[in-house]
This record gives sequence, C-alpha cells and structure tokens, in this order.
Amino acid sequence: MRFIDYKNVVPKTVIGLLVFLILLIPVFTTNVATLSMLILSGIWTVAVMGFTLVLRTGQFSLGQSAFLAIGGYTSAIFTVKLGWPFWPSFFLAGMASGIVSLLVGMVVLRVGNIYFSIITLALGEIVRIIAQQWEPVTRGTRGLILSPPPPIILGGFKINFEASPVPYFYFTLCLIAVTALILWQIGQSRLGRAFAGVALNPVLAEHQGMHLMKYRVIAFTVAGVFTGLAGSLYAHFLTVITPYVFGLWQSIQIMIMSIVGGISSLVGGPIIGTILLYTLGDYLTRVKTFGIQPLLFGAIVVMVLIFLPKGTGLVDLWGRFWTKVVWREEEYEPDTPDD
Amino acid sequence: MSYLELKNITKEFGKLAALEDVDLQVEKGEILGIVGPNGSGKTTLINVISGYYRPTGGEIFFNAKKISGLRPDQIAKRGIIRTFQSNVLYEGTTVVESMLISSYQQYRTKNWQSFFETRTWKDENETVVGRVIELVKLLDLLNDTFLPAEGLSHGYQRMLGIAMAMIANPSVLLLDEPTTGMNHEEAMFVVDKIKKINEQGVTVILIEHNMKVLLDVATRVVVLSFGTKIADGKPEEVMNKQEVIEAYLGTETI
Ligand SMILES: Nc1ncnc2c1ncn2[C@@H]1O[C@H](COP(=O)(O)OP(=O)(O)OP(=O)(O)O)[C@@H](O)[C@H]1O
Ligand SMILES: [Mg+2]
Repeated sequence: MRFIDYKNVVPKTVIGLLVFLILLIPVFTTNVATLSMLILSGIWTVAVMGFTLVLRTGQFSLGQSAFLAIGGYTSAIFTVKLGWPFWPSFFLAGMASGIVSLLVGMVVLRVGNIYFSIITLALGEIVRIIAQQWEPVTRGTRGLILSPPPPIILGGFKINFEASPVPYFYFTLCLIAVTALILWQIGQSRLGRAFAGVALNPVLAEHQGMHLMKYRVIAFTVAGVFTGLAGSLYAHFLTVITPYVFGLWQSIQIMIMSIVGGISSLVGGPIIGTILLYTLGDYLTRVKTFGIQPLLFGAIVVMVLIFLPKGTGLVDLWGRFWTKVVWREEEYEPDTPDD
Repeated sequence: MSYLELKNITKEFGKLAALEDVDLQVEKGEILGIVGPNGSGKTTLINVISGYYRPTGGEIFFNAKKISGLRPDQIAKRGIIRTFQSNVLYEGTTVVESMLISSYQQYRTKNWQSFFETRTWKDENETVVGRVIELVKLLDLLNDTFLPAEGLSHGYQRMLGIAMAMIANPSVLLLDEPTTGMNHEEAMFVVDKIKKINEQGVTVILIEHNMKVLLDVATRVVVLSFGTKIADGKPEEVMNKQEVIEAYLGTETI
C-alpha cells in the first residue's frame, strides 16, 4: 500500500551520503565560477523552500523576490549606512522581512487566493520601486556596495570570507540546513496537517476548527524570515545590491523552480528544482541567449505540468507530511475482520 | 436558557428570506429532527448556526454564550460541528489522512509542542489514532481506511463525512441529510449509528427528508416551511398536524 512508501521516500543513509558528498565539494574543486554557481543556487533554494511552504497552505505568492530584496537591503543599509557589524544585520534582515510578511499576510490572507497573488505581485514591484527611488538611503539604481562577513576564528583557525568562496559555500549550506530542519519539523507537526487541511479544503477545515488565516500567516511569515536571511547572504556574497535583481521575473523564477522540483517534499523538491534551473539559466546567460531563458523556463513548466501533473498539483502529495503517523497505523492491521 | 438557543433568527439573501424569525431551543442530549420541503431553509439553518453565514437578524447562544457573529472555526472550537449536504472531502487524501486532518480539535498539544515532538504530542497522537480506528470501525470504513476518499461510493463518502465530523470532537453535531441518496438499508445503518453517537453524549440536530427515519430516531421534530417554523414537538404529533401535511402536499409524499 502506498502509505508504506512514505516512510522512507529517500532512505536516511542515502541522504547522509549525499550530504557528506556535498560537504566535500570544495575539496574536489575550488573553482570560483563553479562554487559561485552552487552558492547562488543554494541561496535561491532557500527562497524556493519558502515559496513551497506558502504554496502548501494553498496560496500562490507572486512576490517572494520582495523578501530577498528586503533582507538584502536591510543588511546593506545597516552595515554600510549605519556601520552595524555583519551578524546583527544578518539576523535583522530576517526579522525585517518576517515582519513585513507578517503584516502583509495579516491584511491579505484573510481573503487569500487570487487577492493574495495580486497583492504579493504588487508588493514585489513596490519594494523594487522603493529601492530605486529612495536615493539617499539605497543610492537608487547605482546600488550599495557591501563588504563580506568578517572572518570567523574557530580554534585558532581563521575562516576568511574575502579570500575564497568556500566559506560562503558552507555558510549557505548551514542556512539551507536550518531552513530544511524547520520545514521538516513543521511538516510532521500539527501545523503540517493544518496546512494540508487549509489547502485541500478551506471551507471544511474552517468548520473543523482550523483558523485559515492563522495557518496561512504562519507559513507566509516563516517563508518571509528565511527568504530575508537568504537575501542578506545574497547581497553580502555579491558585495553589491541593486534594484535590478529583485523583480517580477525573479518571483516567477522562484515559482517555476518550486513547480519543477515538485511540491511533494518541502526540502528535496526545492533543492532539485533550483539547482536544475539555476544551472540552466546560468548556462544560457553565459552563452548570451538572454531572450530565450523565459521562453525555455515557460516551456519546461508546461512540460512538467503535462507529464508530471501529480508531482505538481496540490493533490496526492500530502502523504509525506504524515510519514510517522500513517506508518503507526500499520500496527492496527486494518484488513483483519473485527467485531 | 437552553443548551443551544436561536432567538428570532433571520437570514435574508437579497429580498428572499431563507429564514424568518426562527426561534429554536435545543436541549443537551436530544436528537432534534428538522424537516421541510426543498428550499425551506434547513441547510441555511445549519449554515447560520455553524457560522458559514451570519444571520441578518437575531442571536444564537450556546452554553449561554453568544456565538452568532463568530467565525466557523471559533464555533467549531466551542464544540458545534456540522456535516454538509453534498460530499465534502479533502481532495487527494486517503480515509485515514482525512481523519487525521479532521482530528485537529482532538489535540490539547500546542503547535509548538508538536513542532518539538514532545512526549505529550507523541502520547496524544497514539490516543487520537486509537479514536480514528474506533470511528472508522463504527462507520464501516475499516476496509477502506487506506483508500482514496474520492474513490469511495456515495454512501461511504457520506459515512466518511460523519466520521470526520465525529473526530472533530463535537458536543453538538449538525447533520445535513446524512442519508441522502442511500437505499433504505444503508439509511437504517446510518440511523443506527446516529443513535450510537447520541449515546456517546453528543447532541444531534438531524436534517432529514424521510419522515419514517425521523419517527424512528428523533426525540423531537421541527418543521420549516418557507423559512419559518410551522411545527415543533414530538415526532408523531408533528406529523399529523394539518399545516405540516399541507406544507408537504405536492412537494413530498409522507
Ligand atoms: N447563498 C445563497 N444565495 C441566495 N439564495 C440562497 C443561498 N443559499 C440558499 N438560498 C436560498 O434560500 C432558500 C433556502 O435554501 P436551503 O438550502 O436552506 O433549503 P433546504 O431546506 O436546505 O432545501 P433542500 O431540501 O433542497 O436542501 C432557497 O430558496 C435557496 O434558493
Ligand atoms: Mg438543504
């Protein structure tokens, strides 16, 4: 029966091995271009995870790039303009982005659905326009120049962010790991079930005691916090932040990456989708075929929707939220006659 | 004041009054039957009690506290759970998954406790799974436990609807035509289960077209016609009332 599959969708040993290999990547290559690409796709992965979490409450956000921007600009403004150190600015970036998503969510998620999509789309544009127009603070289209995080001294060992991208690589992995851990825990908790209920049938869920807005807001806020942190890392890694990198196209890319990866898993799907499409996009940019990227991405989404509808639709995918509980059910041997 | 009390409840859709000045008292532990021709306002009554619609006039009290104006989830939290006239399911889930989503109110564990997988969460999970099995057995869904809910026959989807409402922990259960589309045998099975549920201490409000069924199960019957209450009393008495017979003429055979 299919619920047995859920127990170990990917065996723990395989996950362990994969993590181990990923950790070793910098041993095999210190090529700046390769590592940069992995770092950037890792940063986008976090944003895609956030998007996927929101999608699993049944809501389509078309403005996740806004939170990358809020995170990035918060971090930039506080380190550059106000002279704050990196770490407090980094965490403040997550908080600022989280607060904005909380406030926006509380206003829009009461109605949700198409209104939510439209308002988040508008939010993305508003944030970009503010970044462009608020010259004294953001320096408009010229952007802000940031410095990398300060060196970390670990037992006499100095980790220097200026010398190579390797420290960024591990930093990004840490961020992904923390995000993944939290999403996993959400998935197995009461929250995961409530998310499923709210997404699969809001009317029914509401009549069973689930406060629709509460769960939508929780998902959107968690997504906001981590996307903000990713945005901060993004800005510090690139050492420059301009309004151009945060727009509707970026939000749509996040959506496409999520759909291509499949929303059946909150972690695996986003990782696969992002690495696949980020690598492809990066390659297309390098061979200078700018116009073709949106077309190709669109075509990929259509293909995925046609050939893997179950991997992308909201249905049939919730099982993995429940692994443990459904598995326990086995012990009751439901097929034996009773009474 | 009664357990559940509706005072002058009115619900208008534009010019149409689906409910007009309805007064209703429900006592703890009873099985109250509600009958009436098509369009007489039965479903609207459940929609208004469960908070799906706000009444345009009047007030509703439960346990002496006002509940009209609250959201559906707030009313559900106070223990009033409803089913739907059509088969309303969690798309794409199996029976057991539907039940587990619906078990939301079984838990006293807080969200954060379940996030950290505390002892209480694990213990409570086992209790809830036990309760799920109990209900799945009660409503004859045991062999379908791991099958997709949408694949069930109409009759079994109706049963699942009741099972999901029960796992949501009701003190008052509002059933909107649970036996609709069932043959006599299936209907009698459901009626039997409703009695069992009532014996577990759940107050039941039952919308039912079939008078025979109501005579069998209801402790009291209320008749609605064009949004107003035209009779309220013991099933046998109500059935013989002239107004009731008239209300049904041409629309329904008794
Ligand atoms: N959302 C709505 N908008 C407009 N009119 C409505 C709405 N819901 C119900 N009505 C009207 O209110 C009246 C009562 O409807 P209701 O569904 O409560 O009847 P009912 O007694 O449940 O009938 P049935 O036996 O067919 O289920 C009907 O005339 C119906 O058309
Ligand atoms: Mg009805």
